[in-house]
Amino acid sequence: MRSVRSTYLRAIGMRLLAGVPVFFLVTFAATALSDLMPGSAAQTILGDSATPEQIALLNAQYGYDRPAWERYLGWLGKLLQGDLGKTAYSQQSVAGLLLNRAATTFEIALLAMFVALLIAVPLALFTATRPGGITDTVLRAVSSTLLSIPIFVTVVILGFLFAIVLRWLPATGWMPLAQDPIGNLGFVALPAMCLAVGQTAYFYRVSRSEFVATLQEDFVLVARAKGLPASYILLRHVLRPSLPQVLTVFGLSMTHLLGGSFIVESYFAVPGIGWTVLGAVKDHDIPTVQGILSLTVLVFVLMFIVVDIGYALIDPRVEAT
Amino acid sequence: MSGSGIQVDRRGPQVSQPTTPARGPEAVAKGRSLLPEADAPTWFAFGFLALLILGAVLADWIPGLAKPNLEVGAFSGPPALTVNQLFGTDALGRSIVSRVLYGARTSLSIALFASAISMSAGIFLGMLAGFYRGVVERLVDLYANTLASLPPVLVILALIAAAGTSVFTITLAMGLLGIGTYARITKGAVISQAGRDYVLAARALGASDVRLLAREILPNLVPTLTAIVPPLMAGLIVTEGSLSFLGYGIPPPAPSWGGMIAGSTDLLNRFPLLIFGPILAIVLTVYSLNTVGDYMARRIDIREGQL
Repeated sequence: MRSVRSTYLRAIGMRLLAGVPVFFLVTFAATALSDLMPGSAAQTILGDSATPEQIALLNAQYGYDRPAWERYLGWLGKLLQGDLGKTAYSQQSVAGLLLNRAATTFEIALLAMFVALLIAVPLALFTATRPGGITDTVLRAVSSTLLSIPIFVTVVILGFLFAIVLRWLPATGWMPLAQDPIGNLGFVALPAMCLAVGQTAYFYRVSRSEFVATLQEDFVLVARAKGLPASYILLRHVLRPSLPQVLTVFGLSMTHLLGGSFIVESYFAVPGIGWTVLGAVKDHDIPTVQGILSLTVLVFVLMFIVVDIGYALIDPRVEAT
Repeated sequence: MSGSGIQVDRRGPQVSQPTTPARGPEAVAKGRSLLPEADAPTWFAFGFLALLILGAVLADWIPGLAKPNLEVGAFSGPPALTVNQLFGTDALGRSIVSRVLYGARTSLSIALFASAISMSAGIFLGMLAGFYRGVVERLVDLYANTLASLPPVLVILALIAAAGTSVFTITLAMGLLGIGTYARITKGAVISQAGRDYVLAARALGASDVRLLAREILPNLVPTLTAIVPPLMAGLIVTEGSLSFLGYGIPPPAPSWGGMIAGSTDLLNRFPLLIFGPILAIVLTVYSLNTVGDYMARRIDIREGQL
């Protein structure tokens, strides 16, 4: 028992270790971003009408006059105290702002992920057992078509359909989950649906090919020969060994979903991370952009740890790699 | 007569083999396909891409086609049977057909240039990493992992926040972001090739590392790479489209698919037809590129199966 637990811990440790340089690299690059600004950072933020004194003051205030590595050390020091700096204009705490916005984004993303899995996995189980059938052929065509539709097309079409033609759902706006759970559902439905479309097609493809491969294993043949019921075979012999692969895809999709949420949030005016980053880009608000980049990397690294723990839970043979 | 006989003989087992459990029923549907084992969607995909590329390259010489920024008809005019009004006219009376074709030119050339950057650097790094392993591999992995941890749109937006937007910035950024993927895939392919007998034979004959990599291994990477380039280009086109849709891509007067879609959303409830041109263009392009990629991947599977 003890060795199994230490295996988990080692697996998690290795992942963290691999994630650490990635985290530092990305956050450093984010700090160095302001050096890319034409002229100086303050010049870009304040615009052409700013006086040299104002520019010098702002540069000094944000430390843009110091070299990137020095700013980075300062940023890291503050990070340890949970301080990500202040936003460029409203002078809000970046950490507080991001926590608030991240909750919205993750609610939508997780809901989309959940819906996608719920639709994709049963369909994939169904068609994997009947390859070449009508359902299989149709779903193959449908999934490859859906995978070709960029998210910015999906939002326009679904938004038009549900908010303008059918008038079932509000086109824009947001209601926090904590304030009004029912009202929240109305606002979350359309964004989550848009994210789920492509995700469902993707999950369907991956899990179907995974199931097809597993169905050809000898142990499935043996189970059939033993006369076990088909549903039992599907759940115990096919679904479970295929799960690690599905889980990996689940983890990898998180970055993809986050990318999609920029479009969805900007189109439906949902105050999440994507919406925030677009505002920050417009305002050249480097502290916010930096915070969002760090948060995204952190989520990515954590996601992989979760996936690894999931592996170990599903398959006790998994060892640290 | 005998030639075709041999062909049938070779093709028969090759393609129908997948019916046995070894390959899976997946290939059964594909097995029915014609001469180069291309199915109808594949033919369509190649055809569409050929037409699109032709249209984009020759847009200047298509008789009667207006320039993309020229007013040719009514504001938000319906489709009509002239070259310029086939898909209608946009909110400023400009020809949607023309803007889609000129937009294709921009999208395709950005995707092409960005791919060229990613491929040349990615293949080079991937070959070094796969051949020498050790520290080089660690560094290449770190770069690839770092890029994989962030949505490309976020990275490009971050760069835009600092450096401002321009077609050059976007192309360069997409090119640099793609290096990791190419490096990772090349590395895997090199590792699988490096242990094969032909490499060993060449080494035994005294071939240098450079010769091994450039003359022996590189040609054998071509099939793998041809299968991944089309879907990755589709990804680039979508990324560029997303940026233009968000207003940070190709600057407005110039035509871009993403920008056209964003521009017509306000008018959607009055003129839903406006949006069909660019949507059809981007969806069919992405579909075709993915289909071509799938087809290439299938061909490699068959080739590798023969070995």
